[in-house]
Amino acid sequence: MKKPIVVLAQSLVLAAFFAMPSFADDEEALKKDLTAVIALHGLPCGEVIAAKVLAENDYAASCKDGNKYRVYLNAAGRVVVEKQK
Amino acid sequence: MHVGYAAVLLLLLTASAGCARGTPDTSASEPQIVAVQPGTPPPASEPAAPPTPATKPAAPPTPQPERAAPPAPRAGTPGTQAASKGATPVAKPPAAAAPLDLKALEEELKETKAIGFFTKITLKNQVDDLLDKFREYHQGKAKLTMTDLRRSYDLLIMKVLSLLQDEDQKLAADIASSREAIWRLLADPTSFATLEV
Repeated sequence: MKKPIVVLAQSLVLAAFFAMPSFADDEEALKKDLTAVIALHGLPCGEVIAAKVLAENDYAASCKDGNKYRVYLNAAGRVVVEKQK
Repeated sequence: MHVGYAAVLLLLLTASAGCARGTPDTSASEPQIVAVQPGTPPPASEPAAPPTPATKPAAPPTPQPERAAPPAPRAGTPGTQAASKGATPVAKPPAAAAPLDLKALEEELKETKAIGFFTKITLKNQVDDLLDKFREYHQGKAKLTMTDLRRSYDLLIMKVLSLLQDEDQKLAADIASSREAIWRLLADPTSFATLEV
């Protein structure tokens, strides 16, 4: 393999390696944010263990206790938490 | 839809009350100001009086929060026994020395990484709801008493502190130390009206 290609490949691997923790951090921050929001609405959850982006400022959250919620920002600027079946 | 962090002032009650609202009823609160001002001492000089069980404001023009007269600490009262040992009966307002810097709090809240975007918006929603209750109370329309408002206020502050205390202790401490000053601002119809302008 030519040297430039090897260097490029190594760079990509390094970039991916350093980028992954960042994604993981974002994911954790989102889960924590959603956990707090659900709790602030007085709904049972425990802890958000998975979050899926549905749209901008619109998420589906799965809780440790099995509950699922849709958390989104409505047009009036209010955060709405809807229980999902 | 875009709700910027600038709009998320937790107890940036000032900004929230002043900007996000623009309620048409501000004129309705003006007579209150006139009615209350003469008999009410300046809010800055008032000590943090705990709310007494409230009687609902009877008529819209003259709702009065239950902080009639600032209780002057007296020598001999249980709470001032330590102070009464000395010869100087100087009344020091408890924790009133720290001035309320809402701007600084606003900046800290905007910058904090301890809570996420959704949490900030949710808290702002709850702050706005509480401000609505205060507004109704000061206009004499509320079914709530001042005690109810105090309970709601304390609960909200507790939520905020719970969310902040582990990861942003400085901000939590700042909010905790401003707690009574913010309460006085909200509970006093005159100072509350200035927030709405």
